Amino acid sequence: MLNIQNLKLSFGEKEVLKGVDLNVNKGDVVTFIGPSGTGKTTILKCINYLVEPHEGQMQIGDINIDFKNINKKETLKLRRNTAMVFQQFNLFKNKTVLENVMDAQIAVQKKSKKEAYDKSIDLLGKVGLLDKEKDYPSKLSGGQQQRVSIARALAVEPDIILFDEPTSSLDPELVDEVLKVIERVAKTGVTILLVTHEMDFARKISNKVVFMEKGKVVEEGPPQQIFENSQNERTKKFLRKFYAKTNEMVEAK
Amino acid sequence: MNIEILWQDFLGILPVVPQTIALAVIIFLLSILIGTVMALIQEYNVPILIQIVVLFKLFLRGTPLIVFIFIMYYSLPGIVNFFTNLLSLSYNANNISPMIILIVAVSLTVSSFQAETIRGSFLSVSHGQIEAARSLGYTPFQAFTRIITPQALVEALPEFGSAFLVVMKAISLGFMITVVDIFAQARLIASSNSYYIEAFVVAALMYWGIAVIVVKLTNKFESRLLSRS
Ligand SMILES: Nc1ncnc2c1ncn2[C@@H]1O[C@H](COP(=O)(O)OP(=O)(O)OP(=O)(O)O)[C@@H](O)[C@H]1O
Ligand SMILES: [Mg+2]
Repeated sequence: MLNIQNLKLSFGEKEVLKGVDLNVNKGDVVTFIGPSGTGKTTILKCINYLVEPHEGQMQIGDINIDFKNINKKETLKLRRNTAMVFQQFNLFKNKTVLENVMDAQIAVQKKSKKEAYDKSIDLLGKVGLLDKEKDYPSKLSGGQQQRVSIARALAVEPDIILFDEPTSSLDPELVDEVLKVIERVAKTGVTILLVTHEMDFARKISNKVVFMEKGKVVEEGPPQQIFENSQNERTKKFLRKFYAKTNEMVEAK
Repeated sequence: MNIEILWQDFLGILPVVPQTIALAVIIFLLSILIGTVMALIQEYNVPILIQIVVLFKLFLRGTPLIVFIFIMYYSLPGIVNFFTNLLSLSYNANNISPMIILIVAVSLTVSSFQAETIRGSFLSVSHGQIEAARSLGYTPFQAFTRIITPQALVEALPEFGSAFLVVMKAISLGFMITVVDIFAQARLIASSNSYYIEAFVVAALMYWGIAVIVVKLTNKFESRLLSRS
C-alpha cells in the first residue's frame, strides 16, 4: 500500500536521504532504527510532505506521486491520508483536549460537530483520557499529551500513522502508558511507521524492522532476523553499541 | 481650584469624549491592519516592498509625530490629487478634512510599532504546532485562522492595550490642525473662562479614566484567553 522508490533529499549541501526504497503492506508495523542523524525523522516527514524531497516516487493507496513535480492538490491529499505523531506532541495550545481531537475532523474532513464530537469522545475513551476532555494541553503530563496527540491522529482515519520517537521526550515512568496505546492502535490493523529507540518494543510490535545509516537503508527484515540473526556487520555493530550503552545506563542507576 | 468650574468643565468636555474614543478606535484598528500587512511583507520577504517597509519604519520611528502630522497636512492633498488625476477622477482633495489627515498620520506612525508586535506574536507560535496542522491536512489558511492567529492574539494583547493608549494620547496633537478632542476642547474652554488648571485637570482625569477602563478590559480578556494556555 506504500511504495517508495529512490527517495532523495538534501538540506542545502548536506545529503540526508541518498536514495531510499521502501515497500509496506497494509496493516504492517514497520520500525526504523539507526544512529542519530541518519534521516529516520526525515523519511517520515517526506511521507507527510513536511519536508520536500527533490527526487523520488511514492505510491500510497491510489495516490501516485513524483516528488520532482508534486502539486498542492497532491500534497493535501497525501496529508489527508496520513497523520504524524511527534516527539514533542505538538498539541494545539489554544484548544482543549477535546477540541484538539475534533478540529481536523471539522476543518479538514468537513464533518458535522456532532459527528466529530462522538468520534472524539470514543477515541479519548480508547486512550484513557475521557476525564481530561475539557483541559488545555498545558495542564497534562507528557504521557497524557502524547495520548491526546495519538487520538488526534487517529481521528482523521489515516491509512498510515507515522510515529516519530513518540516516547523519547517522556519521563521513564510515562513511557509504558504511551507504548500500550500504540500497541492497541497497531492491533486495529492500521498501517504504522515508527521510529523508536525502544528496542524491546520494536521487536514485540513490528513485523518489519528497517536499519538505517547515513541516509540509506542498510538492512531490513522481520525483527528476529535483524535483532538475533543479522549477518550484516553494520547492523550488528549498531545493536552491540546500543545495548552496551543501555546497560551502562542501567548500571549507573 | 474651583470645584464648580471643575464640574462645568467636565460637562463642557464630556461631549467630545465619544468622538475622541471613536477616532482612537479607528486609528487603532487601521494601525493593526497596516501593521499586519507590514509584518507579512517582512515575514514573506516580498521583494521591493520589504525595502520600502524597512525605510518607512525607520523614517516613522525617527520622526516626531507632530512633524509627520504637518508633513501630511501640507502634502496629503497633493498626493491624493496626484492619484485621482492619474485615474481621472473628479475629486478635489484640497478640502480634505483635517480629521482624515490626522487619522492617516497617526495610523501610519503607530502601525510601524504594531508591525513589530504582530511579527513577534506570530513568531511565538511554535513551529511544531504548524507542522502538526499541516500533517493533518489543514490548508495554510486554515492553520493560520484556527491555530496561529488565536495564539498570536493572546501574545499581542497587552501590547495592543498600550498601543491604544498611545493612540489616545497622540490624537491630542490634532489640535494643531484644528481637530477637536478632549485636550483641544479643554484648551478652548480654558481660554474662554481663564480657569486653566481646572480644564486641564479635568482633561487629565478623563484620559486617566479611559486608560483604567482599557487596562481593565485587556486584563480581563487576557486572563480569559490565558486560562487556556
Ligand atoms: N530542517 C533542517 N535543516 C537542515 N538540516 C536538517 C534539518 N532537519 C534535519 N536536518 C539534518 O538532517 C540529518 C537527518 O536528520 P533526522 O532528523 O532525519 O535524523 P534522525 O535519524 O531522525 O536522528 P535522531 O535519531 O537524532 O532523531 C541530520 O544531520 C540533521 O542535522
Ligand atoms: Mg529523529
